[in-house]
Amino acid sequence: MSELALFLVRIGFVAVLWIFILSLLSVIRADLYGRRVISKIARQNAPALAGGGSVAGSVASLGLEDGEVFDPSQIAMLTGRTAGTSIDIAGKRELLIGRGATCDVVISDEFASNMHSKLVLVGEDWVLQDLNSTNGTYLDGRKVTTPATIGQGATIRIGTTTFELR
Amino acid sequence: MSNVSLTTAIPMLLKAVPRSRNFEAVLLFWVAGINAFALAQVQLAVLQKMSWDMLFYWAPPAIAAGIVHYILRKHAVGADGLMLPLAYLLNGLGIAMIYRLDLAEISRGGIEIYADRQVWLTCFAMIVAAVVVRLVPNHLVLRRYPYLAGAMAVFLLMLPAAPVIGKTINGATLWVGVGELSFQPGEVAKILLAIFFAGYLVSKKDTLSEIGSRLLFMKVPRAKDLGPILLFWAASLGVLVLQRDLGTSILYFGLFLVMIYTATGRAFYVGAGLTMMVTGALVASRVFDYVGRRFDAWLDPFAAENYNAAGGSYQLVQALFGMANGDVIGTGLGGGFPQLIPLAESDFILAAMGEELGLAGLFAILAVYLLLVYRGLRISNSHPDDFSRLLAIGLSFVIGLQLFVVASGVMGLLPMTGLTTPFMAAGGSSLVANWVIIALLLRISDSSLKRVGA
Repeated sequence: MSELALFLVRIGFVAVLWIFILSLLSVIRADLYGRRVISKIARQNAPALAGGGSVAGSVASLGLEDGEVFDPSQIAMLTGRTAGTSIDIAGKRELLIGRGATCDVVISDEFASNMHSKLVLVGEDWVLQDLNSTNGTYLDGRKVTTPATIGQGATIRIGTTTFELR
Repeated sequence: MSNVSLTTAIPMLLKAVPRSRNFEAVLLFWVAGINAFALAQVQLAVLQKMSWDMLFYWAPPAIAAGIVHYILRKHAVGADGLMLPLAYLLNGLGIAMIYRLDLAEISRGGIEIYADRQVWLTCFAMIVAAVVVRLVPNHLVLRRYPYLAGAMAVFLLMLPAAPVIGKTINGATLWVGVGELSFQPGEVAKILLAIFFAGYLVSKKDTLSEIGSRLLFMKVPRAKDLGPILLFWAASLGVLVLQRDLGTSILYFGLFLVMIYTATGRAFYVGAGLTMMVTGALVASRVFDYVGRRFDAWLDPFAAENYNAAGGSYQLVQALFGMANGDVIGTGLGGGFPQLIPLAESDFILAAMGEELGLAGLFAILAVYLLLVYRGLRISNSHPDDFSRLLAIGLSFVIGLQLFVVASGVMGLLPMTGLTTPFMAAGGSSLVANWVIIALLLRISDSSLKRVGA
């Protein structure tokens, strides 16, 4: 093989490595700056969302008034031993749910684990995550395996206890 | 209406791309191509022709990577799409370089061949990673047994010091082995330690970060909360004494510092930890002969007495000459003389890369590592659960710190230590451990929130 060809192969290989890296960078650039871009677009479109009649339907289907954000201030216990009580969650960002006394939301239920699941405020949404409990956490009847966002009126069930965010 | 679809479509697209399995498949094909290119270049330069031997070094890892990809498609659809291709790229480049060193060894009549083993070990490590992804459906299981993980890590660390099975290679007591088979328990211990720290700190972080008195500009924790850090400092010095290995003890202590800093956000731990580490290293360099020699070789590699000493700076100087010979674009794979550096296939593989791919190529490799660690930190950052966040930080930092210590050793920036270059260096324990780290990070990434459509 000629010197020139080997030289081209040599340059070519390093070039291919860099092309690979740069194209990966161009993909994850969106990942690096993505959030800012999204929020800007969302803000520009927010007035259009609130005012546009055609969009109102899709927003209303979530059970909300135009432009209102679901911002629950308490947990209302629906069934179980503590049924009828409610827990204030305004200002909280993270709630540990379980049978253990150190939990923010203590559930006296034989089917609940000590640290059963967790509610985390991510942005404006409350997100429910199961902490690998023995008997599982159910959101609207479906078992929570990966963290799930809680919508208005969604009921959470742990053992025989159910509650919702209001 | 078009506005709405735009606002929903763009975030979907941005989130979807790095996590899509199809994207991962495209990258895997691309990386397989780069790896084939590397092997072809080695053959063209060394043998002046291409032969089918290449397939043996290329196909098995490619198939194993395909299997991991398949398992991810079936069992972890939402996992990060960049980690597998990046790790596979590093692994493939490592195999190409080890194959190249083997060809040089054969041509001078030597018998120390590593590439064949490396190919099968790579396949084994990738399959282990696939099994971990498959069998650990929820990594939060790991949270239940932090002390068990910690105890097992200590046990594994002590194992090489045990009689009969313990082995000392190149002056460091890091191996256990029976006959031909040998294994570095410390590699597995680093994963267990990350699990232990994550589990321990997630329950103790409030005490460690809130309580304490203010002194000057930083908050000093109570004396009894200092217990763990002192204990670990002592333990890593113990490792240094027992196993005669500076790198491992820096790795464990660095891992602990990063995780405690991440958990508490207190600069005090980093400041105190670094001071303790530097003091410990300086004292060790006076007290222990072998550490002292490493320091001398690092401070003045070109001095005749260091260059000629047994275990002196000969290796480092060869590496520096090699990288100088490589210049900016390198001699091309197969064009240089990396075989002149002792242990070029394991500890000094980065120097071999630096010679044959040049500054440009070495920086490309470092960029690949950077991307890999960045993806790990990103996984940590986007996870809603504290334990997972800490574990992901710890695991990705293990790869990052290990690379930093090795690369600085090879370049003469820090004293040379006995850590392996993740994914590249010849050696099974390190490959398996690093692939398990990738598997755990993929598992954590799959369980995090930003899954499209969920």
